[in-house]
Amino acid sequence: MTIRRIALLLTVASLLIGGALLAQDDVIRYASNASDEGARELDEARVAAFEAANPDRIVEHSVTDHEAFKQAIRAFLVADPAPDVLTWFAGNRMNFFVDRGLAADLTPLYEREGWYDVYAPGFIELATVDGAQYFVPTDYYWWALYFRPSVMEQAGVQPPETWDELLAACDALRAQDIIPITIGTRAPWTAAAWFDFLNMRINGPEFHRSLMLLEESYTDERVVAVFDYWRQLYEHDCFLENSAAYEWQDALDFMNRGEAAMYLMGGFITDSVPDEIEDDYDFVQFPIIDPDVPIGIDAPTDGFFMAANASNPEGGMDLLAWFGSREAQELAAEMLGRLPTRTDVDLSGFTEAQQKGIALVQSADYVLQFYDRDTTPEMAEAGLNAFAEFIADPMNADVQAILESLEADRVRIAAEQAAEE
Amino acid sequence: MSAINLIFRRDGQTPGRKRRIQWTPYLFLVVPLAIYFVWIVGPTFYTFYLSLTDWDGISQMRFIGLANYERLFQDRDFHMSFANNVRWLVVFITVPTTIGLGLALIFNTDIRGAQWFKISFYAPLILSFVVIGMIWAWIYEPRNGLINSLLYGIGVERPPGWLADRQLALYAIIAAAVWRQVGYVMILYLAGLKNLDPSLIEAGRVDGATGWTLFRHIIFPLLGPVTVVIVVISIIDSLRAFDLVSVMTRGGPAGASNVLANFMYIEAFNNYKMGYGAAIAVMLFMLSLVIIIPYLYRTIKTEMEY
Repeated sequence: MTIRRIALLLTVASLLIGGALLAQDDVIRYASNASDEGARELDEARVAAFEAANPDRIVEHSVTDHEAFKQAIRAFLVADPAPDVLTWFAGNRMNFFVDRGLAADLTPLYEREGWYDVYAPGFIELATVDGAQYFVPTDYYWWALYFRPSVMEQAGVQPPETWDELLAACDALRAQDIIPITIGTRAPWTAAAWFDFLNMRINGPEFHRSLMLLEESYTDERVVAVFDYWRQLYEHDCFLENSAAYEWQDALDFMNRGEAAMYLMGGFITDSVPDEIEDDYDFVQFPIIDPDVPIGIDAPTDGFFMAANASNPEGGMDLLAWFGSREAQELAAEMLGRLPTRTDVDLSGFTEAQQKGIALVQSADYVLQFYDRDTTPEMAEAGLNAFAEFIADPMNADVQAILESLEADRVRIAAEQAAEE
Repeated sequence: MSAINLIFRRDGQTPGRKRRIQWTPYLFLVVPLAIYFVWIVGPTFYTFYLSLTDWDGISQMRFIGLANYERLFQDRDFHMSFANNVRWLVVFITVPTTIGLGLALIFNTDIRGAQWFKISFYAPLILSFVVIGMIWAWIYEPRNGLINSLLYGIGVERPPGWLADRQLALYAIIAAAVWRQVGYVMILYLAGLKNLDPSLIEAGRVDGATGWTLFRHIIFPLLGPVTVVIVVISIIDSLRAFDLVSVMTRGGPAGASNVLANFMYIEAFNNYKMGYGAAIAVMLFMLSLVIIIPYLYRTIKTEMEY
């Protein structure tokens, strides 16, 4: 362990020194948030492939912890020189930097590489601000209701497709002493997934998107209705008790041990499932509540961008061109099961789960990111707190008061945004 | 005049040298003082200034006067965090001090295995807060944690959710902090007890004081300076409270266990509201000041008297 660490340190140090000795132009500085084990392997493989293909170039690759990166990136971007290429998230989090002039215009790259023809239009749209592209969306994952077929079988229930089936499944599973739905809300973003899907199923994805853009009121009766439905789940005792005591992975353990049946989670859930039971995991789309409402899904998209004051813009563009290439996306799909954003990637080698996930996203009428990626960071924080307050005591929570406080936040944040522009 | 000077002159001191300023100590102090000003005093004042802006860490700073404070005083999260800090303070001054003193009195006698007990009570202090937070989060785990397993074992049907319970979460965290603090207080009191003048206690015994009376009127007053140090340390530690909250609950559920330091961290670094975060920091500073000033005043006054 220690020897490996020392070896790693020496390697990093020699890379840094080597990088400094070489002419500035040949070094591409790449800041990445791929700190999780699988993601890091992919990240390193991608960089190694680029360096192998461009022997005269050196990628100065630095990895920051995934959560810490969200804070560190602000310092990176205003540093001089800033890293050339950075990992980031599509949607509001990306637009935040574009609005502040910290991201480089990548339109020339899109033109040079002919990406307008090979990227799915929805993803190009996601990368576009005022007609120019600033982001290279490379992969995405889907959110779905995951379940364990063997555990569902014990209670004789089918994966729920409608609201009534979901409530009935909760009752049947509880009768067998099985936790119907597990959830860990110590970090309450898991609860935001429930809000996202309930709002999209009840009020439609368009209303949800407007709410995310701070254009609709949180005290609207449609939002109140979301909490009425949410409460029904607690009336049927659907959720793991004391969920605030668990991280999302802790809550997953109940499912891994067969004590819980379902989990509303992103595709990365299988990264934390032991290999020997991975075949016993399946998923369906979030149950339909109102069949007349268009179908929305959360499919968060990750990718890369270049800092506006990058010291090596040509090198950065070339690295981005590689990250956005068909080969790189195929590598990501093969190693991590991430879904490609390009339309020319060969899907035949994909696993059944990947195929199903792609079908899920493509059959949806609206694709959104996720609560904390679709709305502003501050609104997301206020929203997550409000959801946490609701689920702390769902039967007695004063929803009206919670929503009024959220609405006050929304009005203030929207006003501050307007003042900035 | 000079005669008087000669009379009052101390050994080795000539009247001529008296006025000369000794530059050497100041020269030695230049570097630490410079660092102190650059890293402590400067940022403190800068924080005051930041709290009057809407800086987000990137954009141009905009001066917005007292708007952050206006919002702060209406912010429910601020009220909760502030109240929680005060609760933490009250528990922290009383509980570990009492338990620590009790333990010190017990282990100050020659009971068997005192050394071993002392070490076990002191041991938590060598753990970092993050480790303590993780251990206690496991102990409190509602389904399979140590406490609830015991409660299930003796037949309790619905044991509390501890960290998931809004009424209990803060006190559950404080209990973990107290567990760590008790050993520290015990060691300080043990040191204090060792330094007591035995003749005073003997004198008390001769006058017929025993047990509680001896403790109440002789030992405890003699421990006064130690108690003051412990109370001040407890105050500082409770205002600094951050690590345990951040690790165990992140201030949840729904802000029920939030404290000012954690609230400030979330606002400044998670929500990118540097100005608002600075305003919270200033309030925390004020709270510390209100509590620390009387102590500083006393210390300086006593030092002057020497």
